[in-house]
Amino acid sequence: MASNYLSNSALKAINRIGDLMIPRNGEFPSFSEVGGIAYIDDLVSYAPPADIKDLNLLLTILAFMPNFVLRWLLNRMENAMESSGPLAPIFRMLDVGLRGLIFSCYYTEKIPASYTGKKPLDIIGFDLTRVED
Amino acid sequence: MYDYIIIGTGPSGGNIAHNLFKAGANILVLEAGKLMNKKTFPRTEADTSARLYWGGGIEFDTDAKMGFLRTRVVGGTSIVNQCLLDRFDDIAFNDWKAESGVNWFTNEQLAKHYDTVEHALALHTFTANEMNRNAQLFTQSCDKIGVKWGYLRKGQSDCAQERGNDCMACLGGCHRDSKQSSYAGYLRDDIAAGLNIQTETEVTQIVHNGDTVTLHALQQGKPVTFQAKNIVLAGGAFGTTKMLLQSGFKKQLPALGKNFSTHPQFMSFGLFNEEIHACKGYFQTVASKDPILRQKGYKLENVFAPPISAAMLFSRTGAYHQEIMRNYTRMTCIEVAVRDENAGEIKVDNKGKLTIDKPFTAQDRRRRDEGRELIANILTNEGAKKVYASPFSVGLHLMGGSVMGTNSAKSVVDPEFRVHGYKNMFVADSSIYPNAPGINPSLTIMALAQKLSDQLIVANHGI
Ligand SMILES: Cc1cc2nc3c(=O)[nH]c(=O)nc-3n(C[C@H](O)[C@H](O)[C@H](O)COP(=O)(O)OP(=O)(O)OC[C@H]3O[C@@H](n4cnc5c(N)ncnc54)[C@H](O)[C@@H]3O)c2cc1C
Repeated sequence: MASNYLSNSALKAINRIGDLMIPRNGEFPSFSEVGGIAYIDDLVSYAPPADIKDLNLLLTILAFMPNFVLRWLLNRMENAMESSGPLAPIFRMLDVGLRGLIFSCYYTEKIPASYTGKKPLDIIGFDLTRVED
Repeated sequence: MYDYIIIGTGPSGGNIAHNLFKAGANILVLEAGKLMNKKTFPRTEADTSARLYWGGGIEFDTDAKMGFLRTRVVGGTSIVNQCLLDRFDDIAFNDWKAESGVNWFTNEQLAKHYDTVEHALALHTFTANEMNRNAQLFTQSCDKIGVKWGYLRKGQSDCAQERGNDCMACLGGCHRDSKQSSYAGYLRDDIAAGLNIQTETEVTQIVHNGDTVTLHALQQGKPVTFQAKNIVLAGGAFGTTKMLLQSGFKKQLPALGKNFSTHPQFMSFGLFNEEIHACKGYFQTVASKDPILRQKGYKLENVFAPPISAAMLFSRTGAYHQEIMRNYTRMTCIEVAVRDENAGEIKVDNKGKLTIDKPFTAQDRRRRDEGRELIANILTNEGAKKVYASPFSVGLHLMGGSVMGTNSAKSVVDPEFRVHGYKNMFVADSSIYPNAPGINPSLTIMALAQKLSDQLIVANHGI
């Protein structure tokens, strides 16, 4: 797993946060088990360069945080919609940014062949028929 | 030197480019996004967000409470929209007239322009046998509790429903060219016939030199310059307003950036015992059409969301998130779209970045809360075991920022679509909307663009 845009530490942070957001539970595999992060460059490459730089920095810092700090952060993010104060918009933005990355790499058609379990999109029963001609 | 440069290719720019091209004018079209087609539109939800949307997916207000969606591709936001095309009613036009002082904001005055647009596009009004289960439950429950609803009208030519096509896929660009985006409806054939268009070209500065206008742009990151006798700004509420702001027009136009509204939408999901499969078949066929709700300032739309978007609507992760997603196929969904006050402001910071202030006023909140309560009632009456109301709001209809009006202290564009004081700079896109109509905006954007096109063609003796 490597990225042309995000450092290895940043990728590690995404996997750790991803597993806190989507742990293995019943038929759902955990975020890191699915391995959709392998295609993260397909998403990140379209973001403005300044945003990629900020994301890399943030994730690299988060990679060195213990799990209890990450859990605290997720909690702040989850409650950010109802919170007020100067930091609330930052937590809200972080919430949407991180969940956006993680859900995009999980509820995806692009999953490495090394993952042999049921795909999250199949688990939730999402299948679109495209009649193309 | 071009006679006209048109910047942007959404419902506004697409219509104007088409009309001027057909009239034989010497035009150039500039578009920040790429040219894609039914074969190259993204095929996954994640790719759609990343590749088509400005900001790599979503843009926020400064408080990060509301997200805004707009795209950057030939065809503009009409590539991803549902293409529901409604004429305005008298309520909308009367409120526009009152706010702007523009006396031709009436259904009668715009009728011929609406007619022209409607004749050019393939339109379809849905019928009972085209409703999916999500729509059936919505309408049954509305009937029970006395909310009036109606079938929607969509720009589409052939969606292959009888062969099992699922229209939710067209949220990433229609892979059949059925949806009447400004690409499929106007530009595709014009480009094939030689329309002069330069894509991946973002206009960054407008310099007005009297009889001509110079445009500075970045084309795939490299600086380029264009010159024209006239320009038409069709970058949408954010795009057009941003171009004018970063070119320094705020000094002469104090209202620039003001009066932004967006019809904020709030979705609620209802959980059922039966399988609903709301993402199958036609995606949106019905909505509330109730004069009482119209007067109250909101409407209810029967919609759904693809998986990533559905997951994004709820902040809580872990088991709560998995409970919602496990039941994805057993959910129905209704959203309230608020006719909001135009209290927002579009600004550009000192790094040239767009910043949006969008206060959610007490009246907006009241409308949202009433709408949500009614939705909970409808869902429960449908038989929902549980209702999940999303705290997030999304603005899909970006309007205002360069509004039209008679008074140059309170508006940016005059009743002849000219930027006040500039005889050769025109705007006819969603940025000129004086306030929120509470009705799908695209058809009226195209009717206004049609009116401007006719005006330009007449002024140039048929060109
Ligand atoms: C998911 C979704 C569903 C919707 N559904 C409906 C619906 O069913 N019915 C309806 O009426 N409306 C709907 N809308 C809203 C509708 O699509 C917009 O109101 C409409 O497209 C606005 O038209 P416009 O021409 O003003 O701007 P846009 O369509 O946004 O087009 C502006 C174009 O200008 C380009 N541009 C911007 N700045 C620059 C620049 N500096 N240089 C060069 N190019 C630039 C952009 O890339 C873009 O292509 C929906 C919107 C969304 C997001």
